[in-house]
Amino acid sequence: MKKTLSLFLTGIIFLLAPLSAQSAEDIIRRADKALQGPRLYSVSSLTIHRGDDVQPPQVMEGFGMEIDGKYHSLTVYREPARMRGTAYLMAGDDLWVRFSTTGRVRKLSSSARKNSAGGSDLSYADMGEGNQGIGSKYQAVLRGRTRLEGQECFEVELTPRRGSAAPYEKVVATISVEEYRYLQIEYFEAGARIKTMALGNYRTVDDTAYPFRMEMVSHTRDSRTVIETTTVELDSPRVEPRLFTTAYLESLR
Amino acid sequence: MKERTNLRERLLEGWGGWAARNWGKSLLLGSFITLIMTAGVFILSLEMTFFSIMPGSSSQVRDLKKIMADFPLASGITVVVDGREITDASEAEARVKAAVDALEQEFRTEKFAPWVSRVNGRMDREFFRTHGLILSEAKDIRRFTDLYRDLNLTPLLAHLNDDFEREYAGQDDNLADQEVTALSLFRGLEGLINLIAEAAGGSPVENPAIDEVLDTYLMGDPYFLSRDNRMALVIIQPTFTMEDLGPMVKGVTALEETAKQIAREHGITAGLTGLTVVGRDEMVTSEQGLAGSMLIAIILILIIMILAFRMFSVPWISGVPLIIGIYWAVGLTGFTIQRLNIMTAMYMVALVGLGIDYAIHLLTTYVQERDSGANFYQAVEASFRISGPGIITGALTTAAAFFSLMAARTEMMRELGIVAGLGILGEVAAMLIFIPALLGFHHHRRLKKGKEEHRIFQKIKIRTDLASGAGRIIARKPAATALVLLLFCGILTTGAGRVEIEQNLMNMEAEGLESVELQDTLVEEFALAPDGLFILASDLREVKALEKELKDLQSVKRVESAAPFLLLPEEERARREEIFRFRKTVAPLTPASRVDPEDLTEELYRLQMNLLELSDMAYLGGMEKMFLTLNRITGWNEEGDKETQTSLDGLIESLERDPLTADRLALLQGRIFPLLQEKLMRLASAESVVPEKLPSLYGASYISPVTGEFLMSVVPTRNPWEGDFRRVFTTQVESVTSGGTGMILASDQLNTMAKTDGAVTALVALMVIFIILLVDFRNLKLALLTMVPLAASFGALFGFMGYAGIRFDFINIIAIPLLIGIGIDDAVHISHRYRREGPGQMEKTIARTGSAVLLTSLTTIIAFASFIPSVMRAMRSTGVVLSAAIALAFIFSILLHPALLMLSVENKGWNIQAWKRRKK
Repeated sequence: MKKTLSLFLTGIIFLLAPLSAQSAEDIIRRADKALQGPRLYSVSSLTIHRGDDVQPPQVMEGFGMEIDGKYHSLTVYREPARMRGTAYLMAGDDLWVRFSTTGRVRKLSSSARKNSAGGSDLSYADMGEGNQGIGSKYQAVLRGRTRLEGQECFEVELTPRRGSAAPYEKVVATISVEEYRYLQIEYFEAGARIKTMALGNYRTVDDTAYPFRMEMVSHTRDSRTVIETTTVELDSPRVEPRLFTTAYLESLR
Repeated sequence: MKERTNLRERLLEGWGGWAARNWGKSLLLGSFITLIMTAGVFILSLEMTFFSIMPGSSSQVRDLKKIMADFPLASGITVVVDGREITDASEAEARVKAAVDALEQEFRTEKFAPWVSRVNGRMDREFFRTHGLILSEAKDIRRFTDLYRDLNLTPLLAHLNDDFEREYAGQDDNLADQEVTALSLFRGLEGLINLIAEAAGGSPVENPAIDEVLDTYLMGDPYFLSRDNRMALVIIQPTFTMEDLGPMVKGVTALEETAKQIAREHGITAGLTGLTVVGRDEMVTSEQGLAGSMLIAIILILIIMILAFRMFSVPWISGVPLIIGIYWAVGLTGFTIQRLNIMTAMYMVALVGLGIDYAIHLLTTYVQERDSGANFYQAVEASFRISGPGIITGALTTAAAFFSLMAARTEMMRELGIVAGLGILGEVAAMLIFIPALLGFHHHRRLKKGKEEHRIFQKIKIRTDLASGAGRIIARKPAATALVLLLFCGILTTGAGRVEIEQNLMNMEAEGLESVELQDTLVEEFALAPDGLFILASDLREVKALEKELKDLQSVKRVESAAPFLLLPEEERARREEIFRFRKTVAPLTPASRVDPEDLTEELYRLQMNLLELSDMAYLGGMEKMFLTLNRITGWNEEGDKETQTSLDGLIESLERDPLTADRLALLQGRIFPLLQEKLMRLASAESVVPEKLPSLYGASYISPVTGEFLMSVVPTRNPWEGDFRRVFTTQVESVTSGGTGMILASDQLNTMAKTDGAVTALVALMVIFIILLVDFRNLKLALLTMVPLAASFGALFGFMGYAGIRFDFINIIAIPLLIGIGIDDAVHISHRYRREGPGQMEKTIARTGSAVLLTSLTTIIAFASFIPSVMRAMRSTGVVLSAAIALAFIFSILLHPALLMLSVENKGWNIQAWKRRKK
């Protein structure tokens, strides 16, 4: 009798476990929708705070779209004057940079994706994931619920999918229950939380809520980066496949 | 209902009377005890560093002590030479370098031999000249081979450009990680370009100048300079460690005075930093603070005694036993613990305020009895009979509270418990022995002079007006009084949840300590974190494996060890192979007879573009100094506009316009080529580096001469004392190895101790005190009632700290057992007195005890408040917390406790008499 009961209970647990995993995946999928868009165009201002110093804001135009199953993004600096015309092109895991001072285009190694983007607290990989969502590279488990900024939230723990080039050993996402919005994402390496991203100022763009403010705080350096978006267009006519080529990079002025 | 005298009261009365009559014998007894204690005083040593209060049983602390003992590097002293006040950058650099040379020379003289084992103000260039390549990784040697496969000017520049584009193009992190190396390279390159431009312009260039430029280009500047070259470091390995307290203070002071003097002579400034220097500063500031505090406390207390008793002899009647009591406490410490650390030494100052309480109670009662008409001996006997029991119970409860600290896990708390408990017992014993004897002596002298006894005491009038007034209010409105105070307690207690534990040890040090401030300078100007973690490894292979993993951690800036300088067999094989290939490539090279101006111009333009791109990355990465250096070479400004004509521009222009330029450069090429070739061949020595041949700064410092173990120093990306970064850093390092140790981990132990030991010992103290009260009062209700003001004091204290933003640390946590032990005293005296006077006599009870309770609280507060002016923030916060604790205990004892007693006994009819009496 006892044996039957334990087998029964074990069976129930195994049955329920995938359900909770699915539920976590579903939560992530729904939250990622806010960050994705078929042809995404944005204008943002990125400000780096190092200790008490505030760097001059970097104004960037961002273009993103999926081509042949790979997400492509182009970032072009408009301000400050020194950086005007500098651009980064990401196609999947490939990365190129165009220097405004010389007009030359260089391909960087794929390991450079983990590097800091423009001296900020976000890596190139973070920027790329920011436009795709984090669900593709990580598997999710629901940890439970919590409250953040007065809102009831899901707490989802993500670990890299096998074979994926996920840059972090663990990510913990805090997602609002009501609207499935990312409020906070914590990044872990070697057992410690190394960065925290806070997302806010959600506004509706074409029926999709998009975070117009993101702040990444580094826990290993005395710095934080604030990205404030001024313009977002989904399915924007400004975004075309020809932008995501090295030829276009070389043509930039 | 008056209590009849019990055995204890009769014994005390008997002793008081005998000691007053036989004052000579009593003084002799006290002197004999003092003589014995002197032996203990001689055994005692002072250890006034935070290190000395670290938990000795912790493996991390043990490892740290072992590292301090075996590796002199861990006790290293850094001299920071500062020329930032000088406007001209080149002038600043020149003076700073001259000061470094002078410091090196001076510290190597015989005069400093007792303090200095080694001093390094410059890199050992000679060592790197001959071992540069064997110490480089195989991939870097391959890179060198590519870079120097042709030493003529044009191909050299071409390969350099290739290298830039491969290593740094778009690689912000590479540039940031190797910022110091990259800066050094760019400065070397700047020197080379200037040299070439000079020669191109027709200026004569001497071989020594070429030699120096090539050395700087290949090996960087030998001085340990800051990012803008206005500051430099000199590393001193002392002959002492942090454990050698005497030599540490003398040695650091001698080095500091000389460093400042030499810096002044060069028109700049200098300061010392490092763990050893911080340790010296802790010792000096805490000793100064304590000595000053004790003096202030004693003087203020004696002044109050004079004002209260209005008799000049009272201070010495109370002061002499007070000081003797402290002496006995020190002696007892010598016999038991044999040392005083920061905590126990601070307690000696607290003992001034605690010990005087016993004198105040005795003398107050004595004077009141004389005022009531008793003769001298009757008054002395009465004071012992009436106040004695309360004093002894109070002393026992206080001592019990301290002895309960022996239940703590940490050695520091246990030591404090022993010292503090024995100190209280020593003080009360000294008071009970000396006060009646000194009173008797004083009385004898006055009689001899023929003065009437009663005239003396006409001068004395203990003012009871204030206490009577308070007693009247409480007697008339006990319920209202209790309500108001409970409300006050409740409001304050709401802040209790805000109290935090101090995590940052540096916040406890004295403010404005140069050694601590220079740690921030090291971070800002040299990218050196002031503190990190040490790891011991048993062999080289383990060191290299750990280093590889640790370097990848985001919170780790770099790992320092002997590993880069000692090779494993497979590394040596691989590198030797590359070195042979390098030698084969470089040795047969011959200089070309001409320079093609077009090719060279093209490479110079390409170099310009590479440097511009690097400056873009430096700008984006916030690497200000690198950005400025590269802008200086390229002539571009922050806005991206071409601002100045540089040597590089001039060189390009010269090549394009002046046909003779190529010929001049061909001549220069002919001179640079052999010099560069010779230097490169020397660099390419394949000779193995053995530990014995390593310069001390790089190798010997990281290998124990005793055990042969290897030391690794893990440098974090930022100051680990600030914010939550320490947790990130230690967690990440622990993910690689559990063997890390350092002051940051050791201080975590102290924080844990503050949390757990504070709670455990408080619980034990409360239990012990309750038992003592139960035995003393032989009445459960009275024992419980007497604990109420203590509970209220706790809640209010925590609330006060929460609202005031004062954090608990492992030093001011002493407030908890002190509050338990002292805070209960006032309530005990009132309980005893109320029971003696009987119901309906609260006004009289407070009138009789209030002044003494006020005086004792005031003197205790003064003793603790004397910590507040201390430069050490830990002592200052301890002074505030303890003063607040005693003030709150006084308020609740003198106001709340009598009100609750009246409500319980006179309204509710509780019986607070002893069990035996009730049965009768």
